[in-house]
Amino acid sequence: MVNLILLKNVVIIPELFLGLSIVYLLLYGSIVSTYKTYPLIQNVILKLSALVLFFCIVLFYNDKDFFVSKSSLFFNDTIICDYLSFFSKSLIAILSLACILVIKFYLKDQKINQFEYMIVILLAVLGFFLLCSANELITAYLAIELQSLAFYVMASFKKNSSFSVEAGLKYFVLGSFSSALLLLGFSFVYGVLGTLNFEDFKLLYANSLPGNHNNVLFDSSLLQIGLVLILVSLFFKLAVAPLHIWSPDVYENSPSSSTIFFAVVSKLGILVLLIRLFQHSFHSYIYSWRYFVVGLAVLSVIVGSFTALEQRKLKSLLAYSSISHIGYILISFSTGTLEGLQSLYAYIIVYMIAGLCIWSIFLILRLKTFYSQKQNKDLTDFTLLVKSNNIISICFAIVLLSIAGFPPLIGFITKMGIFMSAIESSMYYVAIVSILTSVISTFYYIRIIKILYFEKVLVGNLFYPLPYLESFIIVSTFFSFIFLFINPTLLYLLSYKISLLGFL
Amino acid sequence: MTEFIFHQIYFDNILLFIFSSVLILSALAIIVVQNSVYSVLYLVLNFVTASGLLFLLECEFLSLLFIIVYVGAIAVLFLFVIMMLDVKIIETSKDFYKYLPAGSFIGGLFLFEIASLIGNDFSNNPYIYDKIGSYFINTYTNFYYKIDFFTDINVLGQLLYTYYIVQFLIAGLLLLLAVIGAVVLTMNNSFQGTKKQMFFKQISRNSDSILLI
Repeated sequence: MVNLILLKNVVIIPELFLGLSIVYLLLYGSIVSTYKTYPLIQNVILKLSALVLFFCIVLFYNDKDFFVSKSSLFFNDTIICDYLSFFSKSLIAILSLACILVIKFYLKDQKINQFEYMIVILLAVLGFFLLCSANELITAYLAIELQSLAFYVMASFKKNSSFSVEAGLKYFVLGSFSSALLLLGFSFVYGVLGTLNFEDFKLLYANSLPGNHNNVLFDSSLLQIGLVLILVSLFFKLAVAPLHIWSPDVYENSPSSSTIFFAVVSKLGILVLLIRLFQHSFHSYIYSWRYFVVGLAVLSVIVGSFTALEQRKLKSLLAYSSISHIGYILISFSTGTLEGLQSLYAYIIVYMIAGLCIWSIFLILRLKTFYSQKQNKDLTDFTLLVKSNNIISICFAIVLLSIAGFPPLIGFITKMGIFMSAIESSMYYVAIVSILTSVISTFYYIRIIKILYFEKVLVGNLFYPLPYLESFIIVSTFFSFIFLFINPTLLYLLSYKISLLGFL
Repeated sequence: MTEFIFHQIYFDNILLFIFSSVLILSALAIIVVQNSVYSVLYLVLNFVTASGLLFLLECEFLSLLFIIVYVGAIAVLFLFVIMMLDVKIIETSKDFYKYLPAGSFIGGLFLFEIASLIGNDFSNNPYIYDKIGSYFINTYTNFYYKIDFFTDINVLGQLLYTYYIVQFLIAGLLLLLAVIGAVVLTMNNSFQGTKKQMFFKQISRNSDSILLI
């Protein structure tokens, strides 16, 4: 039965609100910015878009449909509304709100004055919202295209820098190639199964056990090629090891205000799509895709850890460290168990919060030096930060230790959860290799701490004083690490609830 | 009735073979031909034959869209751009033979893989009367001809505006984003004054003073 838009069905009201406000902001900006005096309205639009995202969070928590214990489908089963989508969307909204607040001074310094920047960011966030609640291949594809098109524009936004243009072009060419692979995989799946809906995929394999998918109606080999193509394309977007070459270049060359979005919020939406497709719908194919995923996960852990040892720039170091983190996430993704999913969610939540903390420290430490055009920080720019600003160097060191997985911090618990879930599903060698590699990767985190504290030079660098709101964001994320270690029940309950609903 | 359908299908098959062979040959010619203007003209031929194929499959809306959008707008745009760009014809035969073995090996491998899979998968045609896969066959009345009263565009509109309304809205936002991105990335906000034509410069341009890229 065909449904029109009914008000009782509008579960996507935060998305509708966001889309309408984007159109309003665009109208407002294009009318006001073409006045005769050409006023700069970047700051106003930034605050307005932060307000819009805040209202989106309010709308998420206001909707009582999200708190029902069962997942429910809307708009002819194309939009799913369960705790996974609710939690991912609200996390993305909160983190991108924080990112928008953090990048304000960077935009002012770099003279990125076009108001369209914020609108492009809001469109990317809208794409993530839709991707988290997509229950159909067409919706998922359109949402991925929305966010990645916005990201291409964001990467090449600083037009007078040839680095930024190069990053945008590289991102655009490689990203559209991977989108083409994704579309080819979707068309294979549709050609074999004849449906686009994730629920229907699940129902087609409702009676078959994992590994036993010899259905009479359709041959599964073409379907497997389609699934592999989808996996390759999504791994391309997640920058998993053999497909990661674009990611450090793009991270380093695009403006840092865009890089914070690429690093912090971009992974979760695609991971939600991966979970919906591969843990929810095609879970009976786990013996087909599992070895592929495990191999790539271990490879990306190794590549991310060993290549980051060589890096001199902080941005590319963080890019390689994000590659190795995606490897850890995929290890627990490939277990296919409830514990694996739970540790995946716990890890990605902590990873995103830590990424927000590190990148906001990176953005708000503005060097007081002669080369004012320089925006790309070497590691040596942080020498003796402890002398000039004690508190922020403590925050930086604690966050780095938490990412590396030191015991009195939350990063230790989540990383241990990943290794435990790998061991529980008998992936001993994978666990051993990744534990050893994580020891190696600790080296470059500790090297940053050594540069912060124990460098034998007399003169450090001077920085501008920190603004109030940004330092509030950094300190609150810093306290969340310690609080979550003392009381990790919150994290475990959230991730457990999400992982249960992935299988219902 | 069955005789008529049989003849129709047979005639369609001849047209299908003609169109698809022209399509494949012109697609090959796009890559092989050295002159880029000819290559774009082959692209136009490619689009026209593809729309003819779509006509045979009774997707009249899609085929008209092909002709309007691809032939009418995109290919002509390509043609203009290439004629303006003043591209030299490059000898690529050396590179061609250098990359031929590896490229043809990888391409042939993928072609073989996908072709064998498709051959396996669709070898069992449920529309052909057979012992196994005959569950779709209806020898008495072909209901498809009875109910096919809607035109293509009518059906597409019904689906787009009701069933796929959310996706339609997302596609609209995508187009909006594309417009915003293109305008932002190409608009030059610096106040250097407008660019004017300088006639004597254009007229005094000859083959010695141009820069060949």
